[in-house]
Amino acid sequence: MNAARPSWFRQLRALLLKDLRLELRTRDTLVAMVLFAVVAMMIFQFAFGGRGQDLSAVSGGILWATLALTAVLGVGRSWVPEREQRVLDGLLVTPVPRDLLLISRAGAIFAYLLAVEVVAVPLVTIFFVRGQEPGDLLLIGLVCLLANLGISVLGSLLACLALFARARELLLPVLFLPSLLPVVIAASGATQAVSGGTNDLAEYRGYCLFLGVYAVIFGLVAYATYEHVFDD
Amino acid sequence: MRGSGLVKRFGDRAAVDRVDIALAPGECLAVLGPNGAGKSTLLRMVATLLRPDSGALSVCGQELPGGRTRARAGIGYLGHDPLVYLDLTPRQNLELYAALYGLPDARERIDAGLDRVGLRARSFDPVRTFSRGMAQRLGLARALLHDPVLLLLDEPYSGLDAAGARLLDGVLADLGSARGAVMVTHEVERGVSLAGRVLVLRAGRVVLDEPVAGEASAFRARYEELVA
Repeated sequence: MNAARPSWFRQLRALLLKDLRLELRTRDTLVAMVLFAVVAMMIFQFAFGGRGQDLSAVSGGILWATLALTAVLGVGRSWVPEREQRVLDGLLVTPVPRDLLLISRAGAIFAYLLAVEVVAVPLVTIFFVRGQEPGDLLLIGLVCLLANLGISVLGSLLACLALFARARELLLPVLFLPSLLPVVIAASGATQAVSGGTNDLAEYRGYCLFLGVYAVIFGLVAYATYEHVFDD
Repeated sequence: MRGSGLVKRFGDRAAVDRVDIALAPGECLAVLGPNGAGKSTLLRMVATLLRPDSGALSVCGQELPGGRTRARAGIGYLGHDPLVYLDLTPRQNLELYAALYGLPDARERIDAGLDRVGLRARSFDPVRTFSRGMAQRLGLARALLHDPVLLLLDEPYSGLDAAGARLLDGVLADLGSARGAVMVTHEVERGVSLAGRVLVLRAGRVVLDEPVAGEASAFRARYEELVA
């Protein structure tokens, strides 16, 4: 028996590497998320207006409604290999701290969302915004990072909670989407504040601060509850 | 490993009801009983996968639940399923577990483990392409990777091919003085022939806990009486 205490960083790296390897092998989650986001935006484009119409005023809402729905898809795919291939007991019987399982899952969701945003943000600009400055995209990138943090922490916690529930496919969106509303409102507001040349930086900062606080609050909730999620 | 007064309820039903269990170093204990007797529930409590509703449990020298993370470092668990990712290769699976156990000499252990279970030549193929027996042999390599002091085996022979069964027989026969094993099985003859002691459960309660000696077939008649 190896008595050395396993390194937290090595365990986290191994869990993230495992998720990356599984995704590269199966391409189950990321491809579906990107396709979903593109299709959702096309639907918004057809629903909201014809060619040439300026939809700058609603572009932030369209982007974040799309990303919130896409996040549901990604979070729903969390723990699918562990559940379908019955690997969870194998992970839980190792000396890996339970918070690390939660953090690694949040890391994977964060990475998936970021990859979707790399496609979705330019698409929103092309479809819906006129006169977008390149500098605005950097500011929207910061909104994405902050919003992803909140979405991934909350998504990871709810995915773990739903893991042991019977109607998990139903339960997860019902719990997740309402909890995401503050993120959608704040991220849409922040995106709107810097879209289409209307640079209202004071409003932008306020929304970004809200997104940061949201991520911290749900980080604390996750920290307070993770032990019970797995061990009770 | 020592547990006393262990109780686990699912709703109104007590799956494990005031069970005392102990295992000395070097000992192999077979837990027998009919379906629904509480064998797997008891093993999952010892494996720290389920928390008892009441009772005291100490595993690998650690009192649970406080010392469960340290206790887990000493447990090797093999269930009905190999507990490996089907879309990863055997090597990638074992690399993951080596990191989770914090093994310093992971590469050597992985090579030795794959050699031991006869999967070195297939170590870069996805587990999904394996037969059930091969996957279960990989599960055995996973369970033994960190050289555990307590082996917890839940119907370990189900799905194992002949080579894997011989290998597991060898592991159980050669526990040494520092290691112990608890094996849940419904195969009475195999349990009696491999273990030094048997614990028989019926409806969540212990109806027999004693060393076994003599013919497995002679014990079978007694077992049938106990669980009837």
